[in-house]
Amino acid sequence: MTALRRLGLLAPLAAVSLAGCGLNSVPTAEENVNAKWANVQNQYQRRSDLYGNLVETVRAAANQERTVLREVTEARSRANSVQLTPDQLSDPQAIQRYADAQARLSAPLVFRQLQEAYPQLQTNANFRDLQSQIEGTENRIAISRQDYNEAVQGYNTTIRTFPDAIGARIIHGAKPKVPFQAVTPGAETAPRIDFNAS
Amino acid sequence: MLRLILAALALATAACDAQASGSADGHRAKLLSGLPALTGRVVDRADLLSVEGEARLTAKLAALEARRTDQLVVVTLPSLEGRTIEQVGLGLGRGWGIGQKDKDNGVLLIVAPNERHVRIEVGYGLERTIEDHEASRMIAEVLIPAFEVGAYERGILAGADTIIAELDRSPLVKAKR
Repeated sequence: MTALRRLGLLAPLAAVSLAGCGLNSVPTAEENVNAKWANVQNQYQRRSDLYGNLVETVRAAANQERTVLREVTEARSRANSVQLTPDQLSDPQAIQRYADAQARLSAPLVFRQLQEAYPQLQTNANFRDLQSQIEGTENRIAISRQDYNEAVQGYNTTIRTFPDAIGARIIHGAKPKVPFQAVTPGAETAPRIDFNAS
Repeated sequence: MLRLILAALALATAACDAQASGSADGHRAKLLSGLPALTGRVVDRADLLSVEGEARLTAKLAALEARRTDQLVVVTLPSLEGRTIEQVGLGLGRGWGIGQKDKDNGVLLIVAPNERHVRIEVGYGLERTIEDHEASRMIAEVLIPAFEVGAYERGILAGADTIIAELDRSPLVKAKR
């Protein structure tokens, strides 16, 4: 057996060893980030849809349309118009734009204003159901954001640490992803249900 | 020379594989830090249930799982230790791994009497079965009226019955894939 042929036999071994060095781990981590991001967007979309129902419910129940309702409608169309594709997840400004567009629909904020404008709505069963659905979705948004941020952290660690960084830099040209921060203070926690609330 | 290349490759392979393992257990431990261990279907840390009440509840929860594979776990906590009940719900739900792994059909009923909070935490597989507004109604109409007069055991038993009845009305959760 010549030395050259022996080297040829090493090729599969080299492939195996490269597979550990970011060839697979980087795309896997990236897929994970993208999947977690899709979930963030789905939850925000659900919240927006529920707000659509809420606006209709309030319109049907109240005889006067107050400012807050128009603001929610505008905030909805703005939030729906800002979408992010997976390749924008490395762009801090794009993420910021998305977060800003969503912040105006933060449930604690909206419901505080609604309560002031329409105090009588608390006795409307439809309204209360939608409120609990929006608040539940707010909680799921917080969880999905946390999961996304963890995926980003995992991805960024993968592309920066030896040995995966070799494959990340040479083969994938990987750029770090940006975590998603909440914009509104207090948006992190959905309102609580108190024993005395009802 | 060849041996040298082989050795180098082997070393690189070992290094590349080394960091792939681990971390899942650490993650679970982090979620559960400061929270109680899953000691049974009823984890009555706040001591709201009598011995008979706890036994009756445990039997109902076991029967539910035998019938539908859905897992309902009841937990009472003397303190949330500064967390929101949503954070506790997420930590316990994921940390304990309630529900069948391939169905995510777990439900947690969490009662924190001293902070006066109650929550029904629902696994992804049952989100369409017990929706947010349904959970919210169960809490407002079944649990809170009993808790307000100090009847914690009655409220918890009635709450569990309501959750179980809602599950029994719905189709079984299908396994993923």
